[in-house]
Amino acid sequence: MVIKMEVKEVLNIALLSGEILLTSGSEIYRVEDTIERICSVYGIKCESFVTPTGIFISGLAVNNPSESVSLIRRIRNRTINLHNIELINTFSRDLQNSTLSYDEAMKKLKSIEAGPYFSFARRLGAAGVTSFAYAILFKGSLFDGLLTGVIGMLIYSILEKMKNADISQYFRNFICSFTAGVMSVFIGSLISSLNVNSILVGSIMILVPGLAITNGIRDALHGDILSSQARIAEALLIVTTIGVGVGAALLLMKYWM
Amino acid sequence: MKEVMLAFLGSYCPAILFNIERKNLVWAGLCGAAGWTAYKLVIDLSGSGIFAVFIAALVISFLSEFMAKIFKTPATVFYIPSLFPIVPGISAYYTVLNIINGKITEAAYVGLETVASAGAIAFGILVMTTIFKYINTRAMYKKGQ
Repeated sequence: MVIKMEVKEVLNIALLSGEILLTSGSEIYRVEDTIERICSVYGIKCESFVTPTGIFISGLAVNNPSESVSLIRRIRNRTINLHNIELINTFSRDLQNSTLSYDEAMKKLKSIEAGPYFSFARRLGAAGVTSFAYAILFKGSLFDGLLTGVIGMLIYSILEKMKNADISQYFRNFICSFTAGVMSVFIGSLISSLNVNSILVGSIMILVPGLAITNGIRDALHGDILSSQARIAEALLIVTTIGVGVGAALLLMKYWM
Repeated sequence: MKEVMLAFLGSYCPAILFNIERKNLVWAGLCGAAGWTAYKLVIDLSGSGIFAVFIAALVISFLSEFMAKIFKTPATVFYIPSLFPIVPGISAYYTVLNIINGKITEAAYVGLETVASAGAIAFGILVMTTIFKYINTRAMYKKGQ
């Protein structure tokens, strides 16, 4: 059963799904795929152009060529929320089996947008354990690992605070890696048996731009040159800011100690 | 064995930070642990760090794409956390450390190694994704007929 719907309504559904995908850190081809799939379910011919900073869609009713609509959505904030990508993926798959009305679809999308997230305490714990694991993996002792876990948790809470205050990603990374550097060297100077290198590397592991790198490669593979270049440049910038942060901290501590 | 456990934790916990589906957390962790095991094995056999990273990236992308097929979720969900253990964080750090200490030659050497490892990861993903893409299009083509 195909539910009749205005072109504009269909495009709204497609646009919102695309927006959720893109702000959650999806690859470009997945966004375009999803938009086109949703439109084709409702019998609408559409063409979409997606970049990491915006979505352009124009749709055409197949049986009524005079009815055409274009929508543009600017994407300003991008986070990482892989759960949303999974949910939208199942949403668009399910849509092919059973079409929803406009209100139903919008309600579902809105509920995905406000979907569950791990509580701050659990994420903080996860950040701590991440730092702990990497400090030991990079040849630190158990004691190094525990200290790194504490630094990692501190850095993660700073990161979240700054994210809520809407401070730019690059500055966030700089401050966090700088703090990590200063704290590791400081602790290392207090207790001489510590392995400062593994503490430092372990504590900045949570800042690594894994998503930007992976998506950059995957976008390039699907021919989305524009966004692949943008993402690789983003990853390089993040790595540079982390490097500058650590470097500044090391220099400061070298002259201060 | 201890390192494999740590690599598991090192993929499991970032996966929580990226908010992935709860039932997939364990698999993302296992994927990362498998990648690290491959890395360790190859580095013991061949002694080349960059080659080991390449093989590990191959293993990780194979497992990620495979699990994505089974669980019907996007492969990204497994990719991103499980690449964490083999990211050349430590050599990137030594590059910065050497620059700070004015050892430019060493910095260039370690820096080049970092870039090469990153390239190896990229190429590993590229190879495996291309293979899976080919299999997918073949399957769709057959279905269409």
